[in-house]
Amino acid sequence: MKVILKTMLATLLAIVTPAFLWSQTKPIPINVSLFNESTAIPFTRFITTPVHPGIQVGTEFDYNRKSHTRLFQTANISYFYHNYLAQGIGIHTELGYECRASMGLALTGLFGLGYMHTFATTEEFRHHNGQYEKKSDKGNARLIPSLSFDVGYYLRCADTYSPKIYLRYEAWAEYPYSPDFIPVLTHINLHAGVKFFLSKKSISHE
Amino acid sequence: MNKITNLLIVFLFISACREGENIEPSFYTCEFNFPDSSLTHPEHQQYQNLLDEIVSNGVVGISMSVFKPQDGMWIGAGGMADLHNAVSMQPCNISRVGSTVKMYTAVTVLKLQEEGKLNLDDKIADYLDGDVIDKIENADEATIRQLLQHSSGIYNYIQNLVFQTASTNDLIREWKPEDLLQYAYHKSAYFPPGDDVAYSNTNYIMLGMLIEKIEGKPFYDVFEEKLFSPLGLTLTQFAAEDPVPDGIVRGYIDLYSNLQVLESTYFSGWDYYTADGGLISNPYDMNRFFLELMRGHIINANSLNEMLIWITPKEQDAEFFPIQYGLGIFRIETPQGIAYMHSGDAIGYYANMLYFPDDSTTIVYAVNSNYGKIDQFVSTQAAMENILEAVK
Repeated sequence: MKVILKTMLATLLAIVTPAFLWSQTKPIPINVSLFNESTAIPFTRFITTPVHPGIQVGTEFDYNRKSHTRLFQTANISYFYHNYLAQGIGIHTELGYECRASMGLALTGLFGLGYMHTFATTEEFRHHNGQYEKKSDKGNARLIPSLSFDVGYYLRCADTYSPKIYLRYEAWAEYPYSPDFIPVLTHINLHAGVKFFLSKKSISHE
Repeated sequence: MNKITNLLIVFLFISACREGENIEPSFYTCEFNFPDSSLTHPEHQQYQNLLDEIVSNGVVGISMSVFKPQDGMWIGAGGMADLHNAVSMQPCNISRVGSTVKMYTAVTVLKLQEEGKLNLDDKIADYLDGDVIDKIENADEATIRQLLQHSSGIYNYIQNLVFQTASTNDLIREWKPEDLLQYAYHKSAYFPPGDDVAYSNTNYIMLGMLIEKIEGKPFYDVFEEKLFSPLGLTLTQFAAEDPVPDGIVRGYIDLYSNLQVLESTYFSGWDYYTADGGLISNPYDMNRFFLELMRGHIINANSLNEMLIWITPKEQDAEFFPIQYGLGIFRIETPQGIAYMHSGDAIGYYANMLYFPDDSTTIVYAVNSNYGKIDQFVSTQAAMENILEAVK
């Protein structure tokens, strides 16, 4: 478990560091969202129950910014807990395109790819030498492509570094899921999130 | 700050993995009300070796009954009823036997016909609310017989991917008939009624509703009155009465196809309240039911003849025995001869019941694990051939 967590942390740092270096002269954007995960066919469901909670933290950096649009890259780490099925911790990056209207409203589309390690939420037994024995769960490795859309609102319309609140619909898949049985399992996450900026000033206060 | 984060992560993972329930072995205590002479049965060792082989391959636990007129009944078990508490499987243990209930549903409908309460060639639309009928393609034309024989062409709700992911999303949800039928609403039928056969659970949900409409009580109460009680099937019940009754063996799934199983006892599946699944029984009771049925002791000869009128699907499943469809029963051509059968899956459980009309041999087995790699040892054609070769 420790090795997995350390590996994932190192990978996240590898993604975030360029953004961080780039942003040394500018405020650093931080995205934090709470989400409800569910297994579902993408775009057939919006709000689902029961709630399977998740949290995502990430940052982003711009490739190209114009007055009302920008192309950007994100780097995120996330965790979800799906009762009885699995819990997963993942890292992923997304290429995003945002259109921002002058009144503060913003629409964004994101295409992502990442890695997730999932663990069973119930006891697991392994077949060994003709019988089952309790095993420690080393988890399962997954690729997680994603496609997301969000609608957001910048609290200070004219400010590039304004905080933003957003609602994001993320469709994603985990692959491979169960070879020869369920090759791919699709999910949706409904995020309620906020983007805020850590300014040089606030960094220097830490 | 780092310490707090680390502690939070450790807490999340420790608290998030649910340990198995601690259950006393006495919970699984059960007994038969007949003199069991299985240990002195002439083929006892051969049958037991088969069960042990299946368990050593990766099945968690299995129980089996074999009836041959010349040898009588043999019952046996292998493997585990409960891995967490290290409890061995016993032949009398009960488990979920899924769609095998369709044979019981069909027999109940045939009994209602014998009682003059319906005719198999009546349209189902004559009995059920128009609200349901209007939303399911072919339901306005299909007859009760066509529902029983899977020749209605009605869409199988289980095939709906939206349903499959929804059921995975809430593994302990208890689905009501109306909830499930929604996944068949406005779906294209496979063919016009009577043109072919295609297995559809939707047919049997509607048949359960038919039984309730005619009898004015839950269909599983009708099962109890017409089948379980008269036949003395004391270890048979329906999930709606008690979804996880005392004594039921734990179920396990090989979700990731790697023979690493997770417990699924409390996963509802989707058939606690519908007549397409939800039966809880054991191989002894199921064997007795099948034998009594084939001996003409449950329904009369005319009804049994109707049940055994076969339709051949236009296209056979290349990965299974040649098959024909009767009313709640199948006819398959095995290397050991013609067999009548019905099998059933639940999440973590599988059962199969077979009757060979040439010599009246009846074989029933139930396992408390399925999916992934386990299916190849219990439910595929190769698995059944292995079992029949050793037993028949």
